[in-house]
Amino acid sequence: MATTQETKPDLVTLTIDGKSARVPKGTLVIEAARQVGVMVPHFCYHPKLTPDANCRMCLVEIEKMPRLQTSCSTPVAEGMVVKSAKSDQVEAARKSVLDFILANHPLDCPVCDQGGRCDLQDFSHEYTATKSQFQELKRVFQKEYFSPLIETQMNRCVQCLRCVRYCDQVMDVKALAPVGRGTLTEIKAFGTHELDCEFCGGCVQICPVGAITSRMSMYEFRPWMLKRADSICGYCGDGCQITYQTKNNSLIEVSSTHGSGRNNGDLCARGYFGYHVSEHPERIQTPLIRQGETFQPAIWEEALEQVGQTLLAIKQQHGPDAIAGLITGRCTNEDLYVFQKFMRGVVGTNQIDSSVRYGHLNGVRALQRVQGTHRWTVSFDDIVEADVLLLVGTNVTETNPITGLKIKEAVKRKGAKLITIEALQPAVGTISNIVNLAHHHFGVRADGFQGAVLALMKSVLETRGMAEDVKASATAYGNDLMAQLSGLAWSRLENRTGYSLSDYGHAASTFCQGKKVVILVGQDVLRASGGYGMTMNLLDLLLLTGKLSNPGCGVAPLAEENNDQGAFEMGAVSDVLPGGFSIDHAESRTAVSKHWGRSIPDSSGGALPQFLERMQSGAIKALLVVGENPLGSLPPVSGIEQALEGLQLLVCQELFMTETARKAHVVLPVCSSAEKEGTFTNTEGHVQAVRKAVEPVGDGRPDWEIFSALSIIMGDSMEYGDVKEIGKEIRNVLPGIRPLGPTPIPSKPDAMVVCGYVGGEYRRDLDSRYRLIDEQPDFSDELLVSLRQSLFHSGKFSLKADGLLKVESEGKLYVHPDEAARRNIGEGDQVDLCNDRGTIRAKVGLRERIPMGMAVFPEHFDQEMRGLLSYAVDPETQVPYYKLAQARIVKV
Amino acid sequence: MNVKEWIKTLTFYEILLGMKATLSHLLKYRPITMQYPHEKKSLPSNYRGMLALLRYDDGTEKCVGCDLCEAACPSRVIRVVSAEVPGEPTKRYSKEYYMDMTRCLFCGLCVKACPVDALGMTQEFEWAVYDKRQLHLNKEQLLAIGDRAYPVREKRLEFQHPNVAYFNVGFKNIPEKDIQ
Repeated sequence: MATTQETKPDLVTLTIDGKSARVPKGTLVIEAARQVGVMVPHFCYHPKLTPDANCRMCLVEIEKMPRLQTSCSTPVAEGMVVKSAKSDQVEAARKSVLDFILANHPLDCPVCDQGGRCDLQDFSHEYTATKSQFQELKRVFQKEYFSPLIETQMNRCVQCLRCVRYCDQVMDVKALAPVGRGTLTEIKAFGTHELDCEFCGGCVQICPVGAITSRMSMYEFRPWMLKRADSICGYCGDGCQITYQTKNNSLIEVSSTHGSGRNNGDLCARGYFGYHVSEHPERIQTPLIRQGETFQPAIWEEALEQVGQTLLAIKQQHGPDAIAGLITGRCTNEDLYVFQKFMRGVVGTNQIDSSVRYGHLNGVRALQRVQGTHRWTVSFDDIVEADVLLLVGTNVTETNPITGLKIKEAVKRKGAKLITIEALQPAVGTISNIVNLAHHHFGVRADGFQGAVLALMKSVLETRGMAEDVKASATAYGNDLMAQLSGLAWSRLENRTGYSLSDYGHAASTFCQGKKVVILVGQDVLRASGGYGMTMNLLDLLLLTGKLSNPGCGVAPLAEENNDQGAFEMGAVSDVLPGGFSIDHAESRTAVSKHWGRSIPDSSGGALPQFLERMQSGAIKALLVVGENPLGSLPPVSGIEQALEGLQLLVCQELFMTETARKAHVVLPVCSSAEKEGTFTNTEGHVQAVRKAVEPVGDGRPDWEIFSALSIIMGDSMEYGDVKEIGKEIRNVLPGIRPLGPTPIPSKPDAMVVCGYVGGEYRRDLDSRYRLIDEQPDFSDELLVSLRQSLFHSGKFSLKADGLLKVESEGKLYVHPDEAARRNIGEGDQVDLCNDRGTIRAKVGLRERIPMGMAVFPEHFDQEMRGLLSYAVDPETQVPYYKLAQARIVKV
Repeated sequence: MNVKEWIKTLTFYEILLGMKATLSHLLKYRPITMQYPHEKKSLPSNYRGMLALLRYDDGTEKCVGCDLCEAACPSRVIRVVSAEVPGEPTKRYSKEYYMDMTRCLFCGLCVKACPVDALGMTQEFEWAVYDKRQLHLNKEQLLAIGDRAYPVREKRLEFQHPNVAYFNVGFKNIPEKDIQ
């Protein structure tokens, strides 16, 4: 959006079927025709893909051109006269093209899942002669294998190669290939193995016929039976638009339309195949109250009364600060807002925290401190239009696949330069690897990002120096930072990262050439020790090169959960008010309390790590847990088990009986995101509407209703009629939260805050940020185990999704094949991982993308693995770091 | 009044003329009322009676569970639950098939809509029941009606026409065809 069109594109005028069209130069005839409402039939053309012109369906007559032309590969020219529907010659050509295609297409429309929304069906009705001239037998392909998710029925294929091109050009996975020649061309995976890919479902969506269909919904529906609800995916922070398709109140499939949402119709495996989670049979149906060791089903009134009265009693006896709350960033903005209002206004404590604390807070806090915004200053469109992209610890394909697609588009189609600092190695695998596209790649271990970031900064500033205006206006800041960087010896940095001065030099010169530079910071950085400092350093880098305030430039921390960003903005963090203001800021506190008609406690409630201490010491008596599972995500070293044991009241609002819910006194069933209305804010800060697709399972209720009901029981009523009312209140309290719209308007850095930062605020932790952390003693027999997100799962939540479990159902310890060979381990071997915290057993998987000396374990299956993890808390942002462990590996 | 008319009056000629048809029936007695259920009328071949599901000659169900009958039905008689045949991937069938005959108009649109001629209208019409729920028929009942109403069965679709390469066949069950 920030990209302003500098030069107005040349417009060309042409006539299509008598209609005059004015389109930019270079537009294809088929696109121009679409714009004036002339539909040219086509199979192989798709606006996302390069034209292939192999199906010949889009033939049109163009005056002064000798033969019929394929409109999908012919660019417009001034004065062109195109005839599509009004030409007999074209009509005849289309008829014969369809005759050729139908010569081999089995007429099994009745059993085909595409029947009813099939391009071939539609065009056949429009163009075919009812009788074919072909007498020969149709080709029949024998099937070799079945995929658990994506079913190919090659007899139906029209060989348009959309799927092959999509897989290569958009996804960069290259899992599909045309095998064979002529009409016997078959689309399959390379080699004889079965399809093993990212399972993004893109080929299913893009296939114009029923050759590639989803097995998850196979034969369960006909298109005309489906009811649609446009909503937002509830897994990662990318905030993809998805359309739930339901039949008789059950979810049948999910799709996304080209041109809609921030994802432009592209989805990942989680979005496309992960929707079964809300229909899982293990969903909690009714409120449950603990009686001894078991739970008894209860009615809402009973459960709420019990929670409300106990909370009141605790509040009266021990004060409001004996109650704390923890909410997940998977809730809607409305839920999060009502939750924090309930805790602050009704209970009277600031002791609330949310999953944004697990890492995203590092990024948001850094943005707030340097540029005064809590949102990105760029949008996905700026990523696509960027000249230079710097990825730091993103592992973007697996954590934020759709952001990954934007990067791929920028690099592959728009020629952006990509610099990556990742705990990944370039290697071809079954899923795409972003570092394969990198122009400059620095592969480090998961604990070595800081060295590479500092080295790159040093190189940029030493070779190019800082920007003139920074030198002039913020001399002290510039000099201090230069001094810090020159204090780092090149020899140390080279040793630490394994890359030489000249490697950094090349990357630095690429970086400096960029006019639009976007730096993406991912989970590997934000969730590991020093994450906050590194994000600050990267912001410093942009500041020093004078790019921070340029349009199209910015640092973009990637959120893991779908509404982490919203959780921060709604104030579901102890020291943050709605709108991202600090709780210490008296003015905003007054403003918000005026809106609420309730006073807001002024003491900061501390963060999750402090809650744990206070729960252990007995200062906190009651904990409300909303969709969070601290027992399942925090390592035992954090003391979470002991903390929960001492509680008088543990209330869980959950979809499933999680580890934490099993310890609860009262469990309340809630709605999944497919069952409620609201809004999600995605990682770029775009607020999007979530719509209800199915009725809640059992007695489930939206979370905000529960807080509202509790507030009435506690005698301080906070009533809302529906979600829209909460939305109105949010917009009143936070005029800054922008209205729903198709595209976000990125924030701009606040000049006052930037001035304040360069004017001296930066000094506070300068030394610690620019001090290279002490090197871990390198034991050659030890591995650095990193818990990382897998492409096929999101938190523990997706472990209930049937489709995703079919792709990945167990956690494996992934290591590089050379590393495994060095240790004499093979694929599938059982190994023991041990360190001084314990020993656990794991199965080994080999992946060439994992750097040497490192092992990766998917965090979703980490139940036992958590026993090995180290635990530290960031002094500045109170983010608990627990994703890394140093362990010996012993073959069993 | 002439003699001719006088004689007609005397002999009640008009009355006899009027009673001619009646009196002829007095002599030639042929009953019209059909003694149902002891006697039954022969129905035209296109009579639209009870619906039935049919089978191929090898005993397999014709129905592929395409839901087109459900879509065609104007009074929502039919409900189809289709699925993949267990053990025969990619083959489609109707796992469940229900017809609520209390609503049926016997319009025959479902039969017309069926792409594989799996539905047929039988000559059965004696479906009066004491409990309406008995008219809610499931797949087995409908197949049984078909079995008794259509003793002559068709060949499998792919053997009927040389250019039907295959149709709704499970994995590795694509038939060998001996067609020149």
